[in-house]
Amino acid sequence: MKISSIDAIALIDANNFYASCEQTINPQLRNKPVVILSNNDGCIIARSPEARALKIKMGTPYFKVKERLNKLDVAVLSSNYSLYGDMSRRLMNLLKNYCEQIEIYSIDEAFISISRSNDKNLYPWARNLRSLIYQNLGIPITVGIGENKVRAKIANKLAKNIDYSAGIFDLANTRNENNYLKKINVDEIWGVGKQTSNWLQSKGIKNARELRDMEENEIIKKLGIVGKRLQLELKGHKCLPIEESKKSKKEIQVSRSFGTPVTKLEDLTQALATHAIKASEKMRSLNLQSSDIRVFARTSRYSSQSYQRSAHRKLTNATDDTNSILKIVVELSKEIFNPEYKFSKAGVLMQDLTNSEYLQQSVINYKSQKELKKSANLMRTIDSLNRRFNKNAITWAITKNPKSWMMNKNFLSHSSTTDIKQIPTIVK
Amino acid sequence: MNFFDSNTKIFKIPLLVDSVSAGFPSPADDYTEENIDLNEHLISNPFSTFFLRVKGDSMINAGIKDKDLIIVDKSLTARPGNIIIAMIDGEFTIKRLSIKNNELYLKAENHNYPDFRFKNHIDVQIWGVVIYSIHSYL
Repeated sequence: MKISSIDAIALIDANNFYASCEQTINPQLRNKPVVILSNNDGCIIARSPEARALKIKMGTPYFKVKERLNKLDVAVLSSNYSLYGDMSRRLMNLLKNYCEQIEIYSIDEAFISISRSNDKNLYPWARNLRSLIYQNLGIPITVGIGENKVRAKIANKLAKNIDYSAGIFDLANTRNENNYLKKINVDEIWGVGKQTSNWLQSKGIKNARELRDMEENEIIKKLGIVGKRLQLELKGHKCLPIEESKKSKKEIQVSRSFGTPVTKLEDLTQALATHAIKASEKMRSLNLQSSDIRVFARTSRYSSQSYQRSAHRKLTNATDDTNSILKIVVELSKEIFNPEYKFSKAGVLMQDLTNSEYLQQSVINYKSQKELKKSANLMRTIDSLNRRFNKNAITWAITKNPKSWMMNKNFLSHSSTTDIKQIPTIVK
Repeated sequence: MNFFDSNTKIFKIPLLVDSVSAGFPSPADDYTEENIDLNEHLISNPFSTFFLRVKGDSMINAGIKDKDLIIVDKSLTARPGNIIIAMIDGEFTIKRLSIKNNELYLKAENHNYPDFRFKNHIDVQIWGVVIYSIHSYL
């Protein structure tokens, strides 16, 4: 069964993205096993192909494999989000030039829509795109092509798992579709969660091919319209559109684990204030204001005494003003603090977000228009100074001298592409 | 997260501002242009352009000096004559891509440094083409 539509969707996925970013900017890491650690240097969250070959597992806590990695001469790095974010921005912008529509799905994945020319063969186009991205960024990508998003996702998986695919697979242009769909387990299909997967397996449905051919009414009865749509996409119909602009954010969260557990109110307040400053800055950059501010803190998931508290304050008028938000956050931190527990993580959430341009029209406000204008100007000035010089050129006294609660980033590479002071040096 | 943020202006067209004003028009109005943005003039492929810092004097005869900032475009295909950044055995190096007796090699622009011949090295990759070097006179 072939679809007559000439359009295709490709899922572009950067391989081992974090490790690839580090390898492209640091020649010493090329062709070497590299692992990247999660926030706080906790677990392994990315591996170069060389590290995979050594059977180093994803998610392994670092302290458990520290010695083994040492022995195997594996390069260990903290996650460097300023580098990954910049490389992602470059990747997505390059992709934009080679498609009609793009939906950025995650930091290293994007759906793009392309039109299939008369000869139907998209392999030359995909090969060209792969070598172009590799030349421009030094990052390898995998290209999965299908009639729709679900099948593009499957094709991407096949491109990764089939040895002779060379990182490209077109599910809309293959003779052995049934054989390939059989290779994809139901829990690997995009949109199938754990519960659905369990139910399907209890019905004897193990792979994508069996799900595609399953009795339609049975799916609808259990999974409703979502299930029906999924099956239709598996069959090759296009149900899910490319979403170029994401819907506006519902909330902004800034949270971090602590380097060492926090037991003092002063430290908790300082950490929350730091996160609040970051969250307010983010709101302003997105033209958003919050009227519901929440803070939370919790102990480690692995500790015997688990404890979690959160507190929030609703505001009559939404705000993006760091000073007002800090006042509230400092008060709230007292509410959630408990000296009997060791906190391992804390964060702030800006909820009930509204567009600030729209809000400024509102006349009723507890502050005078003059005051509001003054504080807005101050925030704008601080933001532009911090953008121009560096992130913390101007900050609030409450965050000065951050201590023990700061995250561990013991193996952080440089901001090689975003900070002129940290660009790589060529000797000789 | 918004990836297409405000600093990704790709094709910015210089602006001649045409304004309507009530008073006596400024004679300079028709000539108002935006400030010169070096990014625009030096960088044509912003998403494949990287900055690196040079240390040492191996390229002194090409006018690239110690501590110079160099702008590298990875999207360009290196041609003989170009100054390039190569990765040789795990190190970045800056050299001129040259050709002699039908053989490509990497030439240092300083007699005190040896040339690199590709066949003597296991792992060589051309990383990018140098498009500008910026030297500070202060």
